[in-house]
Amino acid sequence: MIGLIEIKRRKMQFALIGLIVTLIAYLVLMINGLGVGLNEQAGSALENFDADALAYSDGAGLSVIRSELGADVVERAQQVDGIDAAAPLGYVAANYRYGDGDVASAAFLGYDPGTVGEPDVVDGRPLEADDRFGLLADSAFLDNADLSVGDTVPISLRLDTIEFEIVGEIDQGNFFFQPVVYLLRDTWQELKYGPDPEEGTPIASIVLLQGDDLVGDYDGFEVVSKSVAFDNIEGVSGQQATVTALRWFGYLIGALIIGSFFYVLTLQRIVQIGVMKAIGASGLFIFSQGLMQVVTITLVGLAISVPLAGVTDWALQQLPDPVPIAFTTGTYITTSISLLFAAALGALFSARQVARVDPIIALGQQQ
Amino acid sequence: MTATLRVSNLSKTYGSGDHAVHAVRNVTFESDAGSFITVVGPSGSGKTTLLAMVGALLQPTEGVIELDGRDVSRLSGRQQAQFRREGVGYVFQSNNLIPYLTARENLLLMRTISGKNGREGRERAEQLLDELGLTSRADAVATELSGGERQRVAIARALMNDPRVVLVDEPTASLDSERGKQVVESLVREVKGRNKLGIMVTHDMAMAEMTDRILEMRDGEMTERNRPSIPDASA
Repeated sequence: MIGLIEIKRRKMQFALIGLIVTLIAYLVLMINGLGVGLNEQAGSALENFDADALAYSDGAGLSVIRSELGADVVERAQQVDGIDAAAPLGYVAANYRYGDGDVASAAFLGYDPGTVGEPDVVDGRPLEADDRFGLLADSAFLDNADLSVGDTVPISLRLDTIEFEIVGEIDQGNFFFQPVVYLLRDTWQELKYGPDPEEGTPIASIVLLQGDDLVGDYDGFEVVSKSVAFDNIEGVSGQQATVTALRWFGYLIGALIIGSFFYVLTLQRIVQIGVMKAIGASGLFIFSQGLMQVVTITLVGLAISVPLAGVTDWALQQLPDPVPIAFTTGTYITTSISLLFAAALGALFSARQVARVDPIIALGQQQ
Repeated sequence: MTATLRVSNLSKTYGSGDHAVHAVRNVTFESDAGSFITVVGPSGSGKTTLLAMVGALLQPTEGVIELDGRDVSRLSGRQQAQFRREGVGYVFQSNNLIPYLTARENLLLMRTISGKNGREGRERAEQLLDELGLTSRADAVATELSGGERQRVAIARALMNDPRVVLVDEPTASLDSERGKQVVESLVREVKGRNKLGIMVTHDMAMAEMTDRILEMRDGEMTERNRPSIPDASA
């Protein structure tokens, strides 16, 4: 294991590349964490829906904002072949006031109690059918507004302001970068379309569907899987493309830097490689020592950067305006494996150089 | 094991046509185990090229090299590497130890690349270090060793895998004459004492005189050099 012995005896030389690998691993981890965090902000509430598929109105382009479903369409959506359960859900963004008159917006989702659209309550109680001005507010909403269960909050929409009582706390996440607030679907319809809606007024934005093989185009609506629905949230595909591009640039830069370092190291060791070949070492043995160094340095870099990213995550969550960053075990594992792979790929740059070294140079002759 | 080297009509030509360079021309010689040959000659005479061909670092253009009756002049790349690991021990001009390894680790490297790590290898390394007076320097990194110590480690490394032939390239080039003499004495003693065949390339006649036989290369051709006496280097 002479590769490892060299790292041990030439600490300073390898500490430099170790530092660079650590910073690259940290950067890629932060980018991936940002990707996960942004996705959570964009639509964790959608991912938390207790549904296999979602129905949108025809022509809405899978936009929850544009989708409007009338009673007849909702009825047909609830009778699709293979359906186990369904629930209409309304969406509207509205402002609320809190503190000393500060204004913020939230995603208001209208549902029917007792259906699959009902969220789990973590504190307080669920909405009853007569809770016309009751709310179930997400933890982030309560934290942002410094409110708690039992408080009232003024909601503004269509030039009206109505006082709502927070009857329960939920942990459903965000929608369109806003915390979600659940209310009764009748109240939602009133908020969005005004009091005493005329006949034919949409009764929902989407329908949550449970069942198998529901995806398809139907009369007046289309059904897509939850993952397709997520990807079609406004801005998500562009955001994911940006984060993915940044992530790949991180891996590419990692591979190039690690590859360049070991390529230069290989050039510096040409005579040494020639001597090793002259005494019978195979090119594979010599390359494997370099590869072992790359893997070791990358593992050390990850061993430092992973906890560092965890600490950074914690610190960022302590800010008054938390940065949308989130880490999961999957983020750490995927990033670590990908970076190890990129580093090994970078080390391959040196393989050809190792193979080309003629052992005759050990005798002081030119190749 | 008796190592008999038979080199027949060996030639090495670089390039072709008008630009052809005949580094070695039609060289023939034989030698038995337990003897030490020196090849002398001016720079560019072809002596190192000859050494490289015998040690499977170069393939001859023509001719045959037989070791113990086995033709080693037309081996594949993998066979050449195996031959260099097991059949040949090298002592290079500037010792060429791995600089960040200790003396002991440089010896054990020979076992590692042969896939023969184990107690036997460690014992052999200790024995060689002891015989070459290097036990106290066994844990010194190569860069901490003196020139003479480095060459003695290089000799020990060459003997580590018990090769049949030890090939030595200008072993005293970076040493003063007194240290050079000590190194060659060690070489001749260790190689002959183990019944190996030693072949040394040098342009230092004083060192050549310490071996059994002197072959002279000039313009790629070899001639036997007459000597007044042959010292008993193994004594």
